[in-house]
Amino acid sequence: MKKLTAFLLAAIACFSLIACQPAENERITIDFWHMAPVGTAAFAPTKAIITAFNESQDLYTVKGTGFSFWDYWDKINIAVSSQTAPDLGLSTLDDVASRAEEGVLYNLSELLAADPTGFDVNQFYTNQLEFATYDGDLYALPFTATTRVLYYNLDMFAAVGLTAADIPTTWTELYDVAKQLDIVDDGVIQQLGFDPTYGNATYHGWLWEAGLDFFDTAGNPTLNTQAHLDILNWIKDFNSEYTRNQLVAFGDANTMLGINPFASGRVAMMVETDGLYQTIREADVDFEYGVTTIPIPDENGVRVNWGSGFSIELYDNNDGNTAARQGAWEFLKYIMSEEVQIELATINGWLMAHKGAMATVAADDPITARLVEEVEYARDKIYIPYAPSWHGNDWQPYYTQFLAGEITAEQCLQNARNNYLQKQENYNATH
Amino acid sequence: MAKAITVKQLKRQENTAGYLFASPWLIGLIVLGIFPILMSLYISFTNYNMISTMRFIGFENYRILFTNDNLFWKSLGNTVYHVAIAVPLSIVVGLALAFLLNNKVKGMSIYRTLFYLPNVVSVVAMTLLWMWLFQPNFGLINQILKPLYDLFGMEPIGWYLDQNLSKITLILMGLWTSGGSMVIYLAQMQDIPTTLYESAEIDGAGWWQKTIHITLPLMTPSIYFNFIMGLIGGFQVFTMAYIMTSGGPSRSTYYYAYYLFDKMMADNAMGMASAMAWILLIIVLIVTILALRLNKYVFYLGEES
Repeated sequence: MKKLTAFLLAAIACFSLIACQPAENERITIDFWHMAPVGTAAFAPTKAIITAFNESQDLYTVKGTGFSFWDYWDKINIAVSSQTAPDLGLSTLDDVASRAEEGVLYNLSELLAADPTGFDVNQFYTNQLEFATYDGDLYALPFTATTRVLYYNLDMFAAVGLTAADIPTTWTELYDVAKQLDIVDDGVIQQLGFDPTYGNATYHGWLWEAGLDFFDTAGNPTLNTQAHLDILNWIKDFNSEYTRNQLVAFGDANTMLGINPFASGRVAMMVETDGLYQTIREADVDFEYGVTTIPIPDENGVRVNWGSGFSIELYDNNDGNTAARQGAWEFLKYIMSEEVQIELATINGWLMAHKGAMATVAADDPITARLVEEVEYARDKIYIPYAPSWHGNDWQPYYTQFLAGEITAEQCLQNARNNYLQKQENYNATH
Repeated sequence: MAKAITVKQLKRQENTAGYLFASPWLIGLIVLGIFPILMSLYISFTNYNMISTMRFIGFENYRILFTNDNLFWKSLGNTVYHVAIAVPLSIVVGLALAFLLNNKVKGMSIYRTLFYLPNVVSVVAMTLLWMWLFQPNFGLINQILKPLYDLFGMEPIGWYLDQNLSKITLILMGLWTSGGSMVIYLAQMQDIPTTLYESAEIDGAGWWQKTIHITLPLMTPSIYFNFIMGLIGGFQVFTMAYIMTSGGPSRSTYYYAYYLFDKMMADNAMGMASAMAWILLIIVLIVTILALRLNKYVFYLGEES
C-alpha cells in the first residue's frame, strides 16, 4: 500500500511539473489598444487585420482592445502610469518625446538595429519621424497623418468670372479673391469669400507661414514682436468692412446648420484638415471644388501647415518581458507594412503615415494626391511641458476676446504671454 | 451541560456578526472611498503628472495656487458669485413652485410631474437645449423678446455669449431643475397640521399671515436642508459651463471645478489638481460649518422649546 501511495504521489508530481511547463507551441499574447471599439465601422476591419497577423505566424497572438476616442486617453494614461500598459498602442505624435523622457516607451532604434528583416523607416515621412525621435533615438512610429489645406469652391469662382488659375497663393491674392466672392444682401452676409479664423485656420498656423512661432527653441514664450502683432491684426482686419454683429450672425447661422460652412456652400474658401474631404464626399455635395496649399505671406512666406497624427508605440512596463516586446515589434512591423497601411487608409479614409501606401491610395484620386503632397509640409505643434494645451485652453480665451473686440492685439498678446510666463515659473518651481 | 455564555461574549459575537454584515460596505468605503481620498491628499504634495513617478514637493502646489496663479482666484470668484446668487434664487423658485402646486386643482399631479420632469433629463441634453433657446441671434427667447427690443431700440441680449451676463444665464438655466427641491418643500408643506391653519383662521388670519407665521417657519427644516445641499453642489458647478460656454466668454464662466479639471486634463498637473480639490473641500467645509450655525433659526415641528 505504501508503495502504491508513493507511486501515485510521484506520478501526480510529475504530471504537475509537466503541466507547469509551457507547451512548445504556446503563443505569447500581445496586447494592442486601438480606437476601433465594437460597434464602430472600423471594428470589423481592424479585427480582420489582427486575425490575419495571428494566422500568419505561430509565435504570437495579438489581442486587440478598442476604446472610443474620448475614453482612450484616460485609459492609456492611467495604464502607462500604473505600469499596466498594453504592449503597443496608439497615442499622439506631438508628445512622444515627453513619454520617451519618462522612460515608459521602448527604444525602437535598438529594435531596429537588431532586426534581421531590415525594416526601413524611410518609408515614413521625415517630418513625422522627427516628432517620434527623442535624444537621437526613435521611440514611436507615425501611424496616421493629418494636414491642413485651402479648400475652394470652383462654382463660386465661376459665378464671378474666376477660374482655377485665380486660386490664391499669397495673402494678398487671398484677400483680393476673397473680396470678389463675398455676397451681402440687405446688410446680411449670405456668402463669405474667406475668413482667417474659420475652420482649422489658427493663429499659430499663420505665424508659422511667416517664420514665427509662439515659443523660441528653448520653449520660452515669444509673442512680443511687431510681426506677431501685425499678423494678429491681419486676421482681424481681413473682414473689417463688416460689423461684428454681421460676422457673428453669419457664423451663428453656420453653427445652427450643423454642417461645415464650406460643405454647406456658404464660404468660398476655407482652411480645413483632410477630414473635410471625407465629410464632403459623404455629403455628396453638388458643387465643384478642389484643395491647394494654404496661401503664404507675399514675402519670405514659408510653405507649412499644421499637421498632426497618431503614433504607434511600444510600452515598457518595467517587467523585463522581452518576449512580449519582440512580439509587439513584429506586430508593429506588420501593421506598418505597405499592404496593411493601404487597407487602413481605404477602410477609414485616413491619411496614413506610409508614403508608398498613400501613393497607391492617391493614384486615382487627385484631391487625395494633393492632400498627401501637403503632408510633406506639415508640422506638428511642439510639446511645451508647462503648457501642453498652449494652443487651446491657454490661448483661446485671449484670442476670442481679441476677435470680439474686447481687447487690443497688444493686450491679447501681452496677456497670453504673461499667462505662459506664469505657468512656466510655476512649472519650474515644482519640477 | 451547555456552556454558559457571558454577556460580554454575547456582545462580542453580536459585534462580529454586525461587522461581517457591514463588511461589503466597509470594504467598499475603505478601498473605493478612503484610500483614493487619502491618496489624493498625498498627491497634492507632489508634482505627479500621471505618467512619471511622483516627487514630494511639500506645500509648493498650495503656495503657487494662493500666491502665483491668477486663474485660481478668477475661477474661485466666479464660483462664489454663482453660489451667492444661484443658491438663494433656487430656494425662492422652489418655494414659489411648491406654493403654486400645493393647491387642490384638477390635474395637479400632472403639473407636479411636469415641474419635476427636468430633473430626470440629462444635464448634457438640458444644456444643449438651453443653448438653442438662449442663442442670441436665432434663439427662441430673443425671438420672443424681439418686440421689446424693437420697442426700446435695444440690441438683443447676448445671454451666454456676453461676459457680463453669462453667469446669470447659467444660473437662470439651472433654475429649470428647481422641481427637485420643490418636491421636498411640497412634502413638508403637506405635512403641516391643518389644525394650525384652522386655529389661525378662527383668529382672523389671512393667507399672507398664515404663510408668514405658520407655513414658512414650519418649512425651515427643508429650506435649511436645500440651502446646505445647494451650497455644497454650487461650489462644484461645472457641467453647464463645460458644455455651453467652455468657460467663456473671457473666462467669465470659468468655475473652480472647471479649472481643476483643466489642471488635470489639459496641464497633466495631477498634483496641483489634487491640491485644488483639497482647498475646495476646506472651503466647502468652512462654509457648511458656518451655515450649520443657522440651525438655531430652524423650527422643527414637535420639538420642545
